[in-house]
Amino acid sequence: MAEFFSTYGSLIVSMVLGALLGLSLYLPLMTGQLSLASPGFYALGGYIAAILSTKVFTSSSNLFPLHLLLLEMLIAGLVSGILGLLVGIPALRLRGIYLAIATIAFVEVLRVLSLNLEITGGAVGIFGIPQPFQTQIEYLWIALPLLLISMILFYRLERVRVGRAFTAIREDELAAGAMGINPTYYKVLAFTLGAILAGIVGAISAHFLNTWNARQGTFDASIIYLTFVLIGGSRTFLGSVVGGMVFTALPEVLRGIADSGLFPSWLGWLAQFLRDGRLIIFGLLIVIGTIFFPQGLVTPDIFKMGKVKK
Amino acid sequence: MDISLFFQQLLNGLSIGSVYAIFALGYTLVYSILGIINLAHGAIFTLGAYFTYALMGGTFGFNGLLANLTLPLQLPFAISLIIGSSLAGLVGVAMERVAFLPLRRQGSDPLLTVVSSLGVAVVIVNLIQYLVGAESYTYPANTFGNLPPAINFGTVEKPIPIRTVQILIFVVSMVIVAILTYFINRTKYGKAMQAIAEDATTASLLGINSDRFIVLTFFISSFLAGLAGTLVASSVSIAGPYFGIAFGLRGLAVIVLGGLGSIPGAVLGGLLIGLVEAFVPAEYSGYKDAVAFGILFIMLLVRPQGLLGRRFVQKV
Repeated sequence: MAEFFSTYGSLIVSMVLGALLGLSLYLPLMTGQLSLASPGFYALGGYIAAILSTKVFTSSSNLFPLHLLLLEMLIAGLVSGILGLLVGIPALRLRGIYLAIATIAFVEVLRVLSLNLEITGGAVGIFGIPQPFQTQIEYLWIALPLLLISMILFYRLERVRVGRAFTAIREDELAAGAMGINPTYYKVLAFTLGAILAGIVGAISAHFLNTWNARQGTFDASIIYLTFVLIGGSRTFLGSVVGGMVFTALPEVLRGIADSGLFPSWLGWLAQFLRDGRLIIFGLLIVIGTIFFPQGLVTPDIFKMGKVKK
Repeated sequence: MDISLFFQQLLNGLSIGSVYAIFALGYTLVYSILGIINLAHGAIFTLGAYFTYALMGGTFGFNGLLANLTLPLQLPFAISLIIGSSLAGLVGVAMERVAFLPLRRQGSDPLLTVVSSLGVAVVIVNLIQYLVGAESYTYPANTFGNLPPAINFGTVEKPIPIRTVQILIFVVSMVIVAILTYFINRTKYGKAMQAIAEDATTASLLGINSDRFIVLTFFISSFLAGLAGTLVASSVSIAGPYFGIAFGLRGLAVIVLGGLGSIPGAVLGGLLIGLVEAFVPAEYSGYKDAVAFGILFIMLLVRPQGLLGRRFVQKV
C-alpha cells in the first residue's frame, strides 16, 4: 500500500485538484457563460501562495506550518474573488463567444504580466516553495476535504434558489429576466465564485508542485479545464468532477499501459504511440466526445434511469 | 525617435500587420459563414509552414518518426508556397468533414463546434511534434534566390535598410487581400458566400448549395492560414509545433478589433495591431505580447462589435 501511494500519490492528488478546477469552470457555465478565465485565477492564487510562503512567512521549522497554508488559501481566494468581481462586472455584459475571447485575453494579459514582473520571478518563476507535508499523497488532507465540501455545496446549490436562478439564466436569459431574476447579478456571482475556487486550488497547487511559473496559467490550460467540464458533463457538477479526474489521469494511464509490457514486440509501435502520442489521443477524444456525447459523459439522465422503470 | 528608426518600425509594423490580416481573414470567413471561431486555425498555420518547408527540400530534425528524412524533390520557394498552402487548405477541408459537419447535421450548439475545433488543434499540433520533433527549423538558404538581404530606402549617409523578406511579405499579403476582396464582392461564388453568411436557410431556398460553399470557405480559410504560416516562418525560423498557438490567439484579437465577420475589419485590425506592436518602446518589449490582448479587452468593453462590425441585435 505504501508503495502504491508513493508511486501514484502525486497522480491521485492531481486528480482531486483537476476535479476542483473542473468545478471552478463549471460555475460560470451553470449560468450558460463560457468563461475560460479559471487558469488566470489559478495562476494568481499560486503566485500569492508562492510569494507569501517564500518571502513573507519564513519559518524555521522543517515543514511549512499547516495553518499558514490555510491562511494562504484564504488570501488567495479573497484576492481572486475581488479580481473576479472587477473583471466580471464589465466582462459579463458580453455573451457567448465574445465572453470566451475576453476571458482568453484576460488570462494572456495576466500571463505576460507574470513573465515580466520582478516579484513573480519572471520567466524562471518561483521555486523552492516549502512543503507542509512529508509525502505528496498527504496533500489529500487538504485537497480531499476541499473537494468533498465543494461537492456538498454544489449538490445544495443545484437545489436552492440561487442555483435555480443560474439554471434559469442558462436556459433563457431573457425569460429569466422577465421572471424577476437579475441576470447580471447571478452571472457575476457565479463567475466570482469560480474565481475564488480557482484561486484556492492555485494556492494548494503551488505548494504541491514546489515551483510556480507563467506556464501554469496559459491558453492550453484553459483548453484542458474546458475539456474536463464539457466531456465530463456540463449539466451536473458530477460531470466536472468525473471529467477532471478521468482526464487528469488519462495520459498517465496510457503511459502505464504502454510501459506494462503487455505488448508483444511486433506491436512496439503501438506502445510507443501510447507513450508519446498521448496528447493526440486526448485531442481525438475531444472531437469524438463533442460529436457523440454533446452533453458530456455524465448527464442528469443517468440518475433518472432507475425511476423511469416504475 | 529619429526618422530612420521611425520608418523601419513603420515598415516592420506593416509587414507583420499584413500577415496578421491575411491570417485573420481566414478566421473571419469561417465565422461569417458558420458563426464559429475555428480554434484549429493556428495549428493549420503551423502546418502550412511545415508543408512548404518539406517541399523546398528541408530536412526534418533529429527527433520524431520522420527524423533526417527529406523529400526527393526540391521545389522553388514560390511554387512550394502555393502547393504547401493548398495542402493546408485540404487539411482544413478534411477537418470540416470530420469534426464540424457531424455537429452541424445534429444542429449542435456552436460552442460545441468551437470545442471540437480545439480537439483538432490538439491533434494537429501533437501529431506534428510526434512526426517531426519539437525543435525549430530554418528554411533552406536559397529561399529567396539572389535577392539582397535588405534594401536601403534612405540615402547613403542616412540608411533606412528594410529586410527584403519583409517587403515580400507585405506585397504578397496585400495582393492576396486584393484578390480575396475581388472574389467575395465581384464573383458569383463570392456573392453566394455572402448570401449564406446573411441567412443560410433563405440562401438554400434560392438554390445555393450551402454545403459546397462551406467546403470552399474552409479551403480558402485554411489556405490563407497556411500561407501566413509560411510567410512568418520565412521571416523567423519555424519555432516548433507550438509556433501557431500564439499567432492563433493574436488572430482572435485582430478579428474582434476589426469586427467579427468583417473582411475590411480583419485587414484594418491586422495592420493596426501590427503597427501598435512595432511601436512598443524597446524597454517594454516584454509586454509586447500583451498589447494585442489589452486592446482586445478594452475594445470588447467599449465597442464589442469592433471597429467595422455591425451592431448585433438580440433576437427574442
